Amino acid sequence: MYALRDPHLLLEGKPGDKYLLLGNEAVARGALEAGVHIVTMYPGTPASEIGDAIAQIANVAGVYMEYSTNEKVALEVAAGASLVGGRALTAMKMVGLNVASDTLVTLAYAGVRGGLVIASADDPDCFSSQNEQDNRYHALLANIPCLEPSNPQEAREMVLSAFEISEELQLPVMLRLVTRVSHTRGVVAFGQIKERRAGSFVRDPKRLVMVPQNARGGHMTLLEKMRTASMIVEQSPHNQIFGAGSLGLITSGVSYNYCVEALRLIGVTAKILKLGTVNPLPVALISKFLRTVNQVAVVEELEPFLELQVDAIAHRAAADVRILGKLDGFFPRHGEFSTGIVAEGLSKIVGKPLPQSYEEALKKAVQADKLAIPRPPMLCPGCPHTASFHAIRVATGGKAIVATDIGCYALGYQPPLCVGDVMISMGASVGLAAGLSKATTDPVIGVVGDSTFFHASIPGLVNAAYNDHKFVYVVLDNMTTAMTGHQPHPGTGITAMGKMAKRIEIEEIARACGIEFVKVVDPFEFKNAVSAIQEAVRQKGPAVVVFRRPCAELKVREIK
Amino acid sequence: MNLKEINIIVAGVGGQGVILATEILGDAALKRGLGVIIGEIHGMAQRGGSVVSHVRIGGDVYSPTIAEGSADAILGLEPVEALRAVKFANSDTRIVMNSKPTVPVTVSTGAYKYPALEEIIEQCRKFTEHIVALDAFKIAEEAGSPLVLNIVLVGALAATGLLPMKEEDLVQGIKRHVPEKFLTANLKAFEAGKHAALLGLSSHFKRT
Repeated sequence: MYALRDPHLLLEGKPGDKYLLLGNEAVARGALEAGVHIVTMYPGTPASEIGDAIAQIANVAGVYMEYSTNEKVALEVAAGASLVGGRALTAMKMVGLNVASDTLVTLAYAGVRGGLVIASADDPDCFSSQNEQDNRYHALLANIPCLEPSNPQEAREMVLSAFEISEELQLPVMLRLVTRVSHTRGVVAFGQIKERRAGSFVRDPKRLVMVPQNARGGHMTLLEKMRTASMIVEQSPHNQIFGAGSLGLITSGVSYNYCVEALRLIGVTAKILKLGTVNPLPVALISKFLRTVNQVAVVEELEPFLELQVDAIAHRAAADVRILGKLDGFFPRHGEFSTGIVAEGLSKIVGKPLPQSYEEALKKAVQADKLAIPRPPMLCPGCPHTASFHAIRVATGGKAIVATDIGCYALGYQPPLCVGDVMISMGASVGLAAGLSKATTDPVIGVVGDSTFFHASIPGLVNAAYNDHKFVYVVLDNMTTAMTGHQPHPGTGITAMGKMAKRIEIEEIARACGIEFVKVVDPFEFKNAVSAIQEAVRQKGPAVVVFRRPCAELKVREIK
Repeated sequence: MNLKEINIIVAGVGGQGVILATEILGDAALKRGLGVIIGEIHGMAQRGGSVVSHVRIGGDVYSPTIAEGSADAILGLEPVEALRAVKFANSDTRIVMNSKPTVPVTVSTGAYKYPALEEIIEQCRKFTEHIVALDAFKIAEEAGSPLVLNIVLVGALAATGLLPMKEEDLVQGIKRHVPEKFLTANLKAFEAGKHAALLGLSSHFKRT
């Protein structure tokens, strides 16, 4: 048993071998064991290592892997492969599924052929994200099955189940991960790698062409499939009951782990229903469970997703049981859980005190925390963005209103650079800048990274050119997707599988979008950088400045 | 093996090698046939910000993170980061920390003042007497590179005798995880960290 240093072990590992894997690597192994044909993703923490692991072995494994330009495209490429019978995995961080959701919701009507699994990684506590949305609601919205593992070993097993369920129901299936599963390293036992089956396309426009007359039927088909799903989940081995007692806990995913240890911490026993299938819920199983206990605490991170449904199930089953959770304030609706947070909630519910060591640690830590000065993440030494932001400040006398975007460069909003007044979502800076420019006489600047430019900014740029919005769009081109681990993108000239590819030039795209003023400058040629911004600000319409210089971290890696 | 669980917090600054240190600990534990769960943080948090890894070895552990007040050891790669993690300590916890600060941007911009090492240790003492602070940066430089600071502290942790794995397991872990050309410096760092801690133990550790 070893930690995984060589990604080829993911492929070469034999059934029964045990490795110390990240949850994300376990998902990758699960997909290989399921005989996956194709893996697509747009990199995003905490999901990135799923694609990164596959990318390194794809050629040897005979699997096709790509970093698609965004999550919607990634889902569509995976769906296409599935429609000819191949097994497909697409992975993304939770906000990526917002981008892909337009396709997802209707794809659920049309259905799939080869298994299609969507690994969606939530980030409770916003370790590396702009929000902490709960993607179980995406599964509910699209009405597709959703499995939720509690550790890396289960992540591997549930990928296999997800492919099976997907093919049985001909529906996409979501695997909901969170940071503390994706980035937990745990022991994973390998299984057999399945042969890939060749697929073929079956023409069926009534099913696959979602014009209104077909979509109505598609919706009914989806509802019928989900009725079958409701029966499947009643028998699922992923829903388990542990322990005994008059107190019941209903939980799922990573929260289960905190439940087990929190009960130990406060010295209480309980009967735990651990749900692995979080959509649809096993209603009969839950109803039966509710009748065996006096009160039930629903323990789940983020939204009261299970709690609201368990409440409804209890009502319908006329179960004489108190249901407690975050609606009563026992558990928070924000941030990630911990053994301590769950223990605090449970101790209030059962009226048993927390252990002294825990209470004391928290009390004593108050002073220590005050002394522990903050250390926010920042741009690396030698980062070209630092020069770019400084150039923007100098050129505009610090007066510009700056809409910034998602990536390392978002950190430029902090002192001492202070460049970045608003940041919302991938590619939003171009639209925000256009709108800002309509109601101010101050210079307006939109900032975007190279990978984010390809991801979601092109329609906004066309909009800016066509409607003649007056602002400067600065593309910080460090020639990689730095934030998430230096994945390639269409501007880099290399694919996920290491093949040379046609470089798509950002400046050519800008011109093709209808932008007349386009300049490419090295931000380390500081005078030129400043004057490029100044000249761009003087333009009557939209202007694009590309600050191009490779990420400093890429250089460090070369030296290493 | 049903050994009592060992909970280790590894705290440092993004780029110091927190994750590498945890992987080596995890590998060594696996070599002994012990269960391991490690909670890591990747991504944004790594850009020079605070990084904490939770390493849980042996026993019957579920949670990827350690509860406040229940760490057996805190490995602080940086003094303020050790302090930030001290809430995981109790009166038996061993704190092994590097005494050389990495000054955060909040200090260089004048918004905050970096606390004195004595103040940091005084706060840690409120939790535990078992503290050893060593200039791991200097020791790492002497071993060949300031980059091996993390391994100096892994060596120092090994010297506490707390770890259920053998020294050779840790050395094996280092060999498996560091690139060939940095191996000598890393192995030197491990030995030097161990010796520095053993010297420090007599003055800083309360024998139990």
